[in-house]
Amino acid sequence: MSKILGIDLGTTNSCMAVMEGGKPKVVPNAEGMNTTPSIVVPDKNIVGVSAKRQQVVNPKNTVFSVKRLMGRRFSDPSIKEALKHVPYTIKEGKNGMAVVEVEGVEYTPQEISAKILQKLKTDAESFLNTSIKDAVITVPAYFDDAQRSATKEAGQIAGLNVLRIINEPTAASLAYGLDKKTNEQIAVYDLGGGTFDVSILEIGEGVFEVKSTNGDTFLGGDDFDLKVIDFIIEEFKKDQGVDLKNDKQAMQRLKDAAEKAKIELSSTQDTEINIPFVTADQSGPKHLVIKLSRAKLEQIVGNLVQKTIEPCKKAVSDAKMSFSDIDEVVLVGGMTRMPKVVEIVKEVFGKEPHKGVNPDEVVAVGAAIQGGVLSGEVKDILLLDVTPLTLGIETLGGIATPLIKRNTTIPTNAAQVFSTAADNQTSVEVHIVQGEREMATDNKSLGRFILDGIPPAPRGVPQVEVSFDIDANGMVNVSAKDKATDKTQSIIIQGGTGLSKEEVERMVTEAEKHAQEDKQKKDIVEARNQAENLCYTADKTLKDAGNKVSEDIKKPVEEKVKGLRSVLPTATLEELKNKTEELSLDLQKIGQEMYKQQDKGGSETPKSPDDKKGSENPEEPVEGEVVDDKG
Amino acid sequence: MEKKLEKLEKEIVELQEKVQETENKWKRALADYQNLEKRTNEQKIEFIELANHKVILDFLDVLDCLEDSAKHIKNEGLNLSVKKFKDALLGNGVSEIQTDDVDFDHNLMEAVDTQKGTENKVLKVNKKGYILNNKVLRPAQVVVGRKE
Repeated sequence: MSKILGIDLGTTNSCMAVMEGGKPKVVPNAEGMNTTPSIVVPDKNIVGVSAKRQQVVNPKNTVFSVKRLMGRRFSDPSIKEALKHVPYTIKEGKNGMAVVEVEGVEYTPQEISAKILQKLKTDAESFLNTSIKDAVITVPAYFDDAQRSATKEAGQIAGLNVLRIINEPTAASLAYGLDKKTNEQIAVYDLGGGTFDVSILEIGEGVFEVKSTNGDTFLGGDDFDLKVIDFIIEEFKKDQGVDLKNDKQAMQRLKDAAEKAKIELSSTQDTEINIPFVTADQSGPKHLVIKLSRAKLEQIVGNLVQKTIEPCKKAVSDAKMSFSDIDEVVLVGGMTRMPKVVEIVKEVFGKEPHKGVNPDEVVAVGAAIQGGVLSGEVKDILLLDVTPLTLGIETLGGIATPLIKRNTTIPTNAAQVFSTAADNQTSVEVHIVQGEREMATDNKSLGRFILDGIPPAPRGVPQVEVSFDIDANGMVNVSAKDKATDKTQSIIIQGGTGLSKEEVERMVTEAEKHAQEDKQKKDIVEARNQAENLCYTADKTLKDAGNKVSEDIKKPVEEKVKGLRSVLPTATLEELKNKTEELSLDLQKIGQEMYKQQDKGGSETPKSPDDKKGSENPEEPVEGEVVDDKG
Repeated sequence: MEKKLEKLEKEIVELQEKVQETENKWKRALADYQNLEKRTNEQKIEFIELANHKVILDFLDVLDCLEDSAKHIKNEGLNLSVKKFKDALLGNGVSEIQTDDVDFDHNLMEAVDTQKGTENKVLKVNKKGYILNNKVLRPAQVVVGRKE
């Protein structure tokens, strides 16, 4: 089954997305960008950024903002307005409709839009490596029937089967999952590259109804850039007495710098516009260095942001509501990245708006979700759950050792090999804990069981494999198997993931709050385990060495082991580390001594003890991380 | 007895449908996953290239300034420094877009102005363009000729 392409066919830029594995994904175009300029050179079939690049050379044949003409009669007042803004020819075509003329050939707005859609389709096909037949295309909420059918026709010309035309604000609401709400009023604030739209929607039983729309068809990000450029020109004139307006090359550099500064100030408080050698006069070259703060920028473009308030008020009153009736506010369009815009919207509507990382992609994402609903992918998709909290077991010293990390998609399984903590230990207890804290006692205990019948062996030798298996219903099956005897014990925990949302949140926040102290606790336990382990190794080495090594080498080791053991429960992390290090150095001397003797006499060397913690190979027992045998 | 048989038959049909449906969904999920895996690998490579893109783009701005400086301040040391900077970029797969005596090409260049001259010829370069691994890193900003 082929994918359904969700398309945001915009006035200045277009964007597309598909559902993949039940999630929407924005599809980049052939140039690797997520948005494509809605610009076409129809006679040469150039679309997108390439068309934009040659606009200056070929203004009469470069068609942009064609969306403004869709389904409009030539006599429509909005066409008169559009004529003022475009250098290409718009004339009256068949049935009095507005058409574009390029090189003596008439193109309907549908045909021009179709070229954009065609490029999107081709690019998506090559990116996804599959053919695309179906699409969902978005239109502004105020589009009438003629404009909607024109958009649908554009899709058909591009070889797409347009399954549905949906409203842009509806798509944006879908992207934020607002279709799950009932009987709510939603305001969608869309400030894009060239247009501003505000829509009031009502959602009831999963159906969106447009109550009112308003906006400004000639207000967008480009106007903001122009304001910034004007400011820089004025400042430079004041400072250097040179008017950059007459210097086309300088203006180009200014335009790039202004846009960059505007974008930067959305995430920083200050920026510097620095253009060396921007121009020159009789006195020599001139440099442009202007500091711009976010506050200053907000002052410069303040009027433009203010201009969006009135349409919001009108839209709300046209919907016969007041601002307090609005339950959700959604931000769309690249300009809503600007903190000042968010602030104003919050002020006007009196609530925190929904905003995503990429507000210029939400409409396309919503269209893809609508496509998913139509194909049944969204409704029927196996909603795979995730483990809300980390699952693990308690290991030596009370550490919670994670086996399945939180947010892992289930069903899943995981296994790790553990060993014993004492010589001749014949049973291990598996204590299952859930939570994000480092120490087992701080986490939620889910259950415990004992695996016995392990053949007596030195510590660290037995291999006990502990495996977790969570099925799709969140049922956790934990089993422990002694690899030597194949003896197995297991436990099933019902509803191991069935915690309430609040409970999960509380546990996660608590873990974050205690992260520092928990880590300290864990570090000290680990250091203690390591110290203990080294004492054990030292004992063994001393025994193996017997009388092959002289007393004056053995003595310091014996003393250090004794010293270390006596402070084990009380020592600080620092002390433990130092003492362990000291013992380790002395211990190495025994090893060296024994090698020397082997070289001389060829006597057998004891296996060199490995005092390092943790082998990553799951087939090897993890030393130091040992299932405790105490109940 | 017959009724029971009928009921069971119906059940079998229902189950068969369900099996088929489940199998379809499973295959689809698997296919989605495998495709994702393939693309993730491609994207990893692309990501590194892209990350380089961003860094090199920022450096190109600096190179522009240095070249401007070298034009105004005639200094051997500065010239050598600029050359060294350019060589470093070249060594990392960056190449300059050729604009000498060529026609305007919207794939590699961005027209910022037109002037009287040979039609569609590049007359002047305002900002040099660069290519990285066959992808346009930055189009050359050029002034293009037009007949009067």
